[in-house]
Amino acid sequence: MIAAAVVIWTIVAALALAVGRKQGRPGLRAAGEMALDQGRGLAIRLPLAILAASFLIQVLPVDALVPYIGPQSGVSGILIAAVMGGVLPGGPMTSFPIALVILQGGAGLPQIVALITGWSVFALHRVLAYEAPIMGWRFAALRLVASLILPLAAGLLAQGLIALTA
Amino acid sequence: MRLSKTDLVFLALAVIGGAVCLWQGGLPLVGAGFAEAGWLLMIVLPQLAAGLLMGGLISRLVSRDKVAALLGTQSGMRGLLLASAAGAITPGGPFTSFPIVHALWVAGADAGALIAYLTAWALIGLNRLIVWELPLMGAEFTLIRTLACLPLPIVAGLIARALVRLPFFTMRKAPAE
Repeated sequence: MIAAAVVIWTIVAALALAVGRKQGRPGLRAAGEMALDQGRGLAIRLPLAILAASFLIQVLPVDALVPYIGPQSGVSGILIAAVMGGVLPGGPMTSFPIALVILQGGAGLPQIVALITGWSVFALHRVLAYEAPIMGWRFAALRLVASLILPLAAGLLAQGLIALTA
Repeated sequence: MRLSKTDLVFLALAVIGGAVCLWQGGLPLVGAGFAEAGWLLMIVLPQLAAGLLMGGLISRLVSRDKVAALLGTQSGMRGLLLASAAGAITPGGPFTSFPIVHALWVAGADAGALIAYLTAWALIGLNRLIVWELPLMGAEFTLIRTLACLPLPIVAGLIARALVRLPFFTMRKAPAE
């Protein structure tokens, strides 16, 4: 968490240095104004969006589906896991522990790959909280449809890789 | 500050979510939702500020022509590969990546490149891999999953470029700088 923040702000500082060198104070001010402009647009939207996503986290059942995504569940298990991943709420600090619990609870490895892929690309709460407010619903819809087959593809590829190494 | 239409949509979603919580678990569950939101917001705000600043600074550093040439509609496979690589090395959560995507959009990147970037960030982002997946899921799982996901950002970008020609998905013009 702290290491990540240090990395991020180091990058901000490096970019600011580059802009300052190239364009001086006016360039920095323009960059800051653009950031502020966008931030102002989000000031109401983002807290509401995060609140909506947080309520969602409270009411979705996840662990009831584990029996359906065992190692022998094949393509149907991969599909179920992908959908589960898509509605799995929270950031990596909640979803990876959940994935670990499900894996140890008896799910198959390709199924968990599909679950994490589904969570990574669909992540409904992320669409709700960040993507739609910043990029608009149409872009979010386009990205979601373009990503529909990815969890299935990842699950099948993982199954192939495991078969290769076994 | 006045409420826009989008703000109202999110207000409605929050109210509906809160109502479902109230119906399922009463006031304690609603409280848990508020607590979760407050905690998230505290984590998110500093990183969102960093993301917005990155977006603003990047838009000063790269010219519109350059981004359009590298990541625009005509950028072909190279554009998708470049966007995927950039996405994989972008650190931070959605609060940093989406402001950057927005800046690239304004700067002339096309939907295919933006989606390849986001998919790479979400699937094979190095930052998340090192901080979360490797310690929690172990090396073998991480390796298999990363290899299985490696080609997917390009796939998503290609599908997006095909879809965006359909009337339903036609992107609105990027907001002016």
